[in-house]
Amino acid sequence: MEVLRIEGLTKVFGSGRLEVRALEDINLSVAAGDLVALLGPSGSGKTTLLLCTSLILDPTLGKIVFDGETIHQQNGGEGIDIRRIRREKMGFIFQSHNLIPFLTAQQNILFPLSLVGKKGEAAHHRVMELLEYMEITERADYLPALLSGGEQQRVAIARALANNPRLILADEPTASLDTVRGKKVMELLKKIAKENQSAVIVVTHDVRMIEGFDYVYYLKDGHLNHAH
Amino acid sequence: MDLAFHDLKLHKGRFIATVIGVGLLFTIVLAMNGLYRGNIHEGLAVIKATNPDLWVVERQRGGPFNETSTMPEFYHYSVKAIPGVEEASPFIFYTVERQVGDKSRHFSIIGYDVFGGLGGPQQINAGRNIARAHYEMVAHEKLGVKLGDQVPLGLHTYTVVGLTREAISPDGEPIVYLSLPDAQEVLFQRDNEEIRNQRERLSRSLTRSLPRQTAEKLLPSLQADTHIINAILVRLRPGANRAAVARHIESWLYFSTFTTAEETQLMLKGRLAGMTKQLLLFRTLLLIVSVVIISLVIYTFTMEKIRSIAVMKLIGAPNLTIVRLVMEQSMLLTLGAFLFGLILIHNTYHLFPKTLVLVADDDLTTFIVALFGGILASILGLWQALKTQPAMALGG
Repeated sequence: MEVLRIEGLTKVFGSGRLEVRALEDINLSVAAGDLVALLGPSGSGKTTLLLCTSLILDPTLGKIVFDGETIHQQNGGEGIDIRRIRREKMGFIFQSHNLIPFLTAQQNILFPLSLVGKKGEAAHHRVMELLEYMEITERADYLPALLSGGEQQRVAIARALANNPRLILADEPTASLDTVRGKKVMELLKKIAKENQSAVIVVTHDVRMIEGFDYVYYLKDGHLNHAH
Repeated sequence: MDLAFHDLKLHKGRFIATVIGVGLLFTIVLAMNGLYRGNIHEGLAVIKATNPDLWVVERQRGGPFNETSTMPEFYHYSVKAIPGVEEASPFIFYTVERQVGDKSRHFSIIGYDVFGGLGGPQQINAGRNIARAHYEMVAHEKLGVKLGDQVPLGLHTYTVVGLTREAISPDGEPIVYLSLPDAQEVLFQRDNEEIRNQRERLSRSLTRSLPRQTAEKLLPSLQADTHIINAILVRLRPGANRAAVARHIESWLYFSTFTTAEETQLMLKGRLAGMTKQLLLFRTLLLIVSVVIISLVIYTFTMEKIRSIAVMKLIGAPNLTIVRLVMEQSMLLTLGAFLFGLILIHNTYHLFPKTLVLVADDDLTTFIVALFGGILASILGLWQALKTQPAMALGG
């Protein structure tokens, strides 16, 4: 089942002599359970593509259909509450974990649940389930500053999974981890894609980390190419 | 999920220090409120405690408290003879600095007719009122004397027979009540050397134009008159027309008259006005400083969380969640600081040298202003939080 379809996506920054075409006619389709890697050197437009996909940046041209709903198209797509879509159907994993420093591990996971109105025993049960899944139950009451880099990233992944998202967008999730921990995180993302039937798009520039991915795309100068 | 509470829990040391710092500012604002009320209370205390139907003072003077007023003592007989007047009493009021015990004390003296006249203490808290024509005094407790103490004033020593709490001078100093002749003696008492010198000067002046024997005869009658008072206090007969009596006194005796309400207004618009405005200005400035400090603290708190705010936005937190986070912290800081200030001032106001009158209405008004200031203070932080781009969460 198709989760995301991007058609003719173009993103242009500036105008005239200062115009920069960051993304040029991007077409991409991702189905539930797909694990997609976006490779490319720095400045190739990987993060811009993630930002446009989640409508944090408005695309200049093109159409985005997410979970059967057109969330962006030329002369249309207005009236969509993109923040609601992000909190209910998307999960984000960042390079530097970005946990909220004044919340404990379990509170960080609870936060996206509270945003969709899940409270009480049901929310607590979901948090404990995710902590067990990530094998960090004993760190539940620790503040992020007291967790190792790998533990922080596992809490961040648990947070991204909290609302059973249809799509997980991961921006360089292994960049701040060593190779062993990085590979563990990638294994975890593969497991999530298959078990939860979530579509996972991972932006990375490290080819060692993409083993076992369903699709690998290469982005260069704003153009997306199928790599394998 | 209460994000503001969790954040403050992590930074509780800094939060408490800020609450104490801003709380001390609120303490000063509340103390200024008390000082403002205290200033008015003290300024009007003696007028309210005396409270005659009419104050008769020197013509075109706003005396006896807002401005000096002097008049011959015997005029109170003329006032008493006016139709509608039941009682007219001489009244003298002045400030002195004398040795009381082992300390030099600044206080005011009221001299009045102790045998049924107006102007004496209305309520004695310990001992009794003055019952003898001479050498007895009633003092305010603030003077630090006890019943039976002997206080030398001028040539004589006075016994403390009563203590009062009601009347303090407009300067906030304690008041001492004496009989009128005693008060006049203390006020006009000159030392023997000065009396000899003055008599010598008068004698020389007179002997220039008169024979020595005539001059010697005239000399005693030319001594300075000490039967001077500052006001005459009037009590009207029941049913008497106050305006008519006042007009009569002004037309026939060429004095000015004021009701107690007018006397109060004279003080409020005159002697007390400057201090009142000054205190209002201080209060306003301190409140502005408090709001600016809260504003800067909240702005700093918000800037430290800016990446977390970007993450919250990215994962779909509505603006209300962000606004609540910033506003709650501002409100908690404002409320905490105000409560600290309120508790501190209500437990220390009696230690201030000037009288602080704390009124619940003033506390409430200051709280409302502080609350409004807290909301205002969070605007800078809110503006910064709401313009934060979620994209800031991405990247290293």
